[in-house]
Amino acid sequence: MSINIRMRGKSQGGVAEIKALIKHPMESGVRMDKKTGKPYPAKFINMVEVLVNGTKQVDAQWSGAVSANPYMAVQLKANAGDKITINLTDNTGETGTETLVIK
Amino acid sequence: MKRRTLLKNTLAGSAAVVAANAGLLVPSVVLADWNKKAFAAKSLEDALTDTYGTSTATESGDIKLKAPAIAENGAVTPVTVDASAIDGVESIAILASKNPMPLVCEYAFGAGALGYVSTRIKMGETMNVMAVVKAGGKLFKAQQEVKVTIGGCGG
Repeated sequence: MSINIRMRGKSQGGVAEIKALIKHPMESGVRMDKKTGKPYPAKFINMVEVLVNGTKQVDAQWSGAVSANPYMAVQLKANAGDKITINLTDNTGETGTETLVIK
Repeated sequence: MKRRTLLKNTLAGSAAVVAANAGLLVPSVVLADWNKKAFAAKSLEDALTDTYGTSTATESGDIKLKAPAIAENGAVTPVTVDASAIDGVESIAILASKNPMPLVCEYAFGAGALGYVSTRIKMGETMNVMAVVKAGGKLFKAQQEVKVTIGGCGG
């Protein structure tokens, strides 16, 4: 199963603000399960990249301290018709990808 | 085996130096792997050193750090860092001073991206949120205290 991403973005004056909502538990591996006294196993997105027309423009690394169901916004130099892609990978190797064509 | 390791390290080192000298951002080279050491660091200084090679950052009024003065729920603290007033932003890192592992996230930017990031982070207690911006090989920072009324770690 791949990670679900919802993206939105609009270009204004050559700059597009891309907003993404990602469905992910972002379990840091630090939080304790009170019943067993053991931490919940870590499962969080650690690599995020944003591409404009296939060229990587944002390369992000996350820890488990990014909130569950992460929200991310970045600003890119992009115009109508440009293709924005977000690629994600979590620490267990699960991936997600979503593409948006700027209006 | 030793020779091979040496060669590999030397090559990797020189490649990084060349990239740094040319002032180019080659994320796929510089940040090929998740920076485990920086994210596992227990102090702000260590996290910064492991990310940028130094923990010395100058306070800058050009970084607009937006975070709530009081966060009702520390598990979802909205943080926005706008450093687009600074030319040539290469990277932005967000750190939470008292989290067990302070480094929350680090964004590296290419020429087609502006120095701007908005996200939501977890904070266990009242602490400072720090934004560190790398531009032109120098580090700049801005910080703000966020009062947390419900912790982000207890669930």
